[in-house]
Amino acid sequence: MFTQNPQTVGIAELTGTYVFDLRTCNRTLAFNRFFWNMIRPEAREAFWADEEAAMQAAGLNPEEQALVRARDWLGIVQYGVNFFVLEKWARVVKTTNLEVYAIMRGESFEDFMNTRQVPSSR
Amino acid sequence: MARIIGGIGTSHVPTIGVAYDKGRQEDPAWAPLFDGYKPVAKWLAEKQPDVLLFFYNDHATTLFFDLYPTFALGVGERFPVADEGAGLRGLPDIRGDVDFQAHIGEALVNDEFDMAFFQNKPIDHGIASPLPLLWPHVPDWPGTVVPIAINVLQYPLPTARRCFRLGQAVRRAVESYPVDLKVVVVGTGGLSHQIHGERTGFNNTDWDHEFLETFRDNPEALTELRHADWVRLGGAESVEQIMWLAMRGALAPKLTEVHRNYYLATTTAMTVVAYEEVAADALPALESELV
Repeated sequence: MFTQNPQTVGIAELTGTYVFDLRTCNRTLAFNRFFWNMIRPEAREAFWADEEAAMQAAGLNPEEQALVRARDWLGIVQYGVNFFVLEKWARVVKTTNLEVYAIMRGESFEDFMNTRQVPSSR
Repeated sequence: MARIIGGIGTSHVPTIGVAYDKGRQEDPAWAPLFDGYKPVAKWLAEKQPDVLLFFYNDHATTLFFDLYPTFALGVGERFPVADEGAGLRGLPDIRGDVDFQAHIGEALVNDEFDMAFFQNKPIDHGIASPLPLLWPHVPDWPGTVVPIAINVLQYPLPTARRCFRLGQAVRRAVESYPVDLKVVVVGTGGLSHQIHGERTGFNNTDWDHEFLETFRDNPEALTELRHADWVRLGGAESVEQIMWLAMRGALAPKLTEVHRNYYLATTTAMTVVAYEEVAADALPALESELV
């Protein structure tokens, strides 16, 4: 039976915000682990050498593999990946956090930076 | 007896570390951030604490979600700075004092805070981002660190009130150590920011300043906030400011700010504040001034 954590009541109503909790993580642990592994140089080398083989070895399902192939940053978050493992993979595919932020907001990088107080800070 | 001589609240944005490593201290976009830390570094150099006790979070680097502790204390003489996907930074290992760390651990568990413990593990930007702005590291760090990691990533997180009480227990633990050590407690994270989902880029400068005022003068009020309140007011990842409350719980009720810097350049309101305690015997005078 689903019971709601009283501390998180109201978060789901905030548009564009996703609660990473035990149920989400239980469903997505292998996918999260795939990104987490990128802290190890050998995992980065394996990904660069053969992306498809790396995903197969990690046991990603077809939907997860498609999200990785598409570099669908927002889709990966919506699927239930924690941003702090995702940013490790961002380093591997040479994408800055600011670039990921722009993509998640559906904006071009320059448009996003122009919404910031110091657009030259990058 | 070991004693707490002050506190620091600081952001731990990873790009601070990147900008530091690239030598961008004079870059006009970054100078307001780096210059803002200089008075705090000077204050630390003058006070010469032996220990910085950090309430920080691991960003699923050293600890993964297959076993992610609510509160975890690190024990070790050395902690390497973590590789988070971009390779290693040129920083010396963070130093530790095993006897003091073990004492804190024993005291906390005996005080009913059932900590997890980690050993021989790296530490990520939760500490390593601000540390070189606070302490010099050439040829080595001038003191040791007690790392206390708090889960602010995977709900259920500890409540704001629980973090505050952890800080109170840490003060009891520090003051029960029979060696004359000077300790500064540090809370990391915040201020307002959200870095996931379409709400990425959310900030709330008014709330940030209200938080800093309330934090200094009436921190118990902040322990009433639910996680959803932090997320609504300051953005999803600002919920990590519950780690500041752990630092606040370790400090005296009355504080003065020695220094405050606030700089919002892109997505995170980057802040550093240093606090000193108002001695108990100074309180009557203070109150009479108010009358």
